[in-house]
Amino acid sequence: MAVVDTMLSGQLLFAALVTGSIYALVALGLNLVYGTLRMLNVAHGDVVMLGAYAGYWAFSALGISPLVAAPVIALAGALAGWLVYRIAVRRMLAQGTAAHRLEGNSLLLFFGLSIIVQNATALAFTPNNRGYTYLEHVLHLGNVSMTTNRLVALAIAGGACVVMAVFLGRSLAGLTMRAVIERREAAFIVGVDVERVQALAFAVGFGSAALAGVLLSMLEQFSPFSGFPYTIAAFIVIILGGLGNVAAGLGAALLLGVLETYGVALTSANVRSVLLYGVFVAALLLFPRGLFAGRAARA
Amino acid sequence: MTRFAIRRALVLGSLAAAAAAPAWSQADKPVRIGFSMARTGILAVATPPQLNTYELWRDQVNASGGLNVGGTKRKVEFVMYDDQSKPEQAVRIYEKLITDDKVDLLLAPWGTPFHIAIAPVLEKYKFPVVGNTAASVALRQVKPGYIWFPTSAIPDRLATELTAMMKSANVKSAAIVSNVLPFSKEIKNFLEPELKKAGIDVKHSSEYPPDVKDMTATLTQVKQANVDAVLALAYPGDAVLYAKQAKELGIAAPFQFIAIGPTNAFFPKAVGAPSAEGIVTIAHWSPRPDWKGSQAFADAYQAKYGEAPDYLDSSLPWMSLEILQTAVAKAGLDKEKIRQIVSTETFDTINGKVKFDGVQNAITPTAFVQMQKGKLQIVWPKSIATATYEPKKGW
Repeated sequence: MAVVDTMLSGQLLFAALVTGSIYALVALGLNLVYGTLRMLNVAHGDVVMLGAYAGYWAFSALGISPLVAAPVIALAGALAGWLVYRIAVRRMLAQGTAAHRLEGNSLLLFFGLSIIVQNATALAFTPNNRGYTYLEHVLHLGNVSMTTNRLVALAIAGGACVVMAVFLGRSLAGLTMRAVIERREAAFIVGVDVERVQALAFAVGFGSAALAGVLLSMLEQFSPFSGFPYTIAAFIVIILGGLGNVAAGLGAALLLGVLETYGVALTSANVRSVLLYGVFVAALLLFPRGLFAGRAARA
Repeated sequence: MTRFAIRRALVLGSLAAAAAAPAWSQADKPVRIGFSMARTGILAVATPPQLNTYELWRDQVNASGGLNVGGTKRKVEFVMYDDQSKPEQAVRIYEKLITDDKVDLLLAPWGTPFHIAIAPVLEKYKFPVVGNTAASVALRQVKPGYIWFPTSAIPDRLATELTAMMKSANVKSAAIVSNVLPFSKEIKNFLEPELKKAGIDVKHSSEYPPDVKDMTATLTQVKQANVDAVLALAYPGDAVLYAKQAKELGIAAPFQFIAIGPTNAFFPKAVGAPSAEGIVTIAHWSPRPDWKGSQAFADAYQAKYGEAPDYLDSSLPWMSLEILQTAVAKAGLDKEKIRQIVSTETFDTINGKVKFDGVQNAITPTAFVQMQKGKLQIVWPKSIATATYEPKKGW
């Protein structure tokens, strides 16, 4: 049975892990920002896109390996996130807007920002498709073949997610961040510097998105309009995992990767969107607090 | 928008100045040529080869003293608007270009739906446009008269020619993976019965959506089908994804066809030269000594933009400009005369002779090119081939 062979080949598992780990990294940043500030950054995918451009220029214009450039670009992304927080977001917060209005307003703000970034990028860099080849060698492990760049992307994205999970679970800064995500007022009362935590969330959020962008630039072609699909994927991931629930988001991202590859193998590539959005809607209806809400720390 | 407002103000200003000047200064007034182009939105990524070609032409014409308008040389000036990738927006823009901006000539927008959408406007105002980047059997439904399509890549003809080429390459079995967008679906609908008729066994046929992110599942099945030919009816975005993942999975079919994408200079950069080598794709142009100006066009484009022209989306616009240029040299700016000339005469272009029969190009054969040693060569049909087809040897 050809389909069964395909399912068990390991090839699909590899594809699912690559897709899932990238989704996890992208969703992680979106989730941190949402968790700490209750702001949905619709322009998150565009940070990914800008990260891809940075990786592309580093490689094509300067001849720097994207792997060497990645930490620098991630740091630059983090700095940009910190600046966006200091310059734009803090001002919005300082205006004393009620929390429910803030959520709506931030959605509009970031949506506008997203359109501006996309079209400004198109005007500045032309809307051409971009791509380059790096680590294209195909490795064979048993009957699974893996392009080196996909394997490297999986390792880095997966590694970054694990580091983040450990950071949130073990370090003091991570624990305070989780405290703000889970019990914002309580955290404030016990003396957590909420302001600093929020700035840090923005920095980590943008930095991880930029890192994901560099990894993507090694794997696929992109254009100024490539970011939005990642915003959507990240959005599905954090809804599945539960808004603000970072660890569950990692599981949800892998689930989405599995769904995309195995679902397509079992049915047809044409039903990909039906599968993704079907699960998304079902999760919203049946598990409005996320698939893993029962087991997660959040009450 | 402000930029356009400023441009309009400048144009109005220059018009006022021109009106005040004596009549003999007509030759100093630039010929204003209008068009819409997707600069933003989903199709913006597809339009640069066309816009680059338009701008290259304008710069060359102006450098040579101007456009020959019935014997008088006049500089060329563009009036361009962004149609935001929306055909209905293009309709409004062309109406505005004709009635409000009162441009002298019009060029085509990008893509089949846009050509079809503006055809009624051209008909209404009796304004001729030589189309370029459009290919569909639906074009034949467009009323002949004010728009023409120089392409020979019409899906029904593509299907018969591709089948004939596969037969001659001794292909016995094939797998088809098709994007569900209109052009690739149209090719697929004509191709499947044609392959069957020719006795080529289609062992796998599946479709995928335009936003596909991973093709591992589909391509694993293609690999298992173990066919002589893989026909990836892809668009530029997924063309790269297909090539990268076919390489990863080691799909060894010697006949590798990718519908749209490999004609663009970004393709070999994105997939790597060894992967691009040997891929067959749709195009009916390549520099050829007997197609006058074809090499010069390729060189000028390369010099200006640092990459090769797109073998479809740059060469077709250039052909349309050559046809318009020839007509305007004879007819001046008289729309009816231009229409008469384009409808009836035979034109020399970088793609050889072109003559329209109704809306269609009656001469240029449907053709395919193959990447050989980093260059796209026409390998089918043999009458215009610049090289012989070679089976693809790995990725």
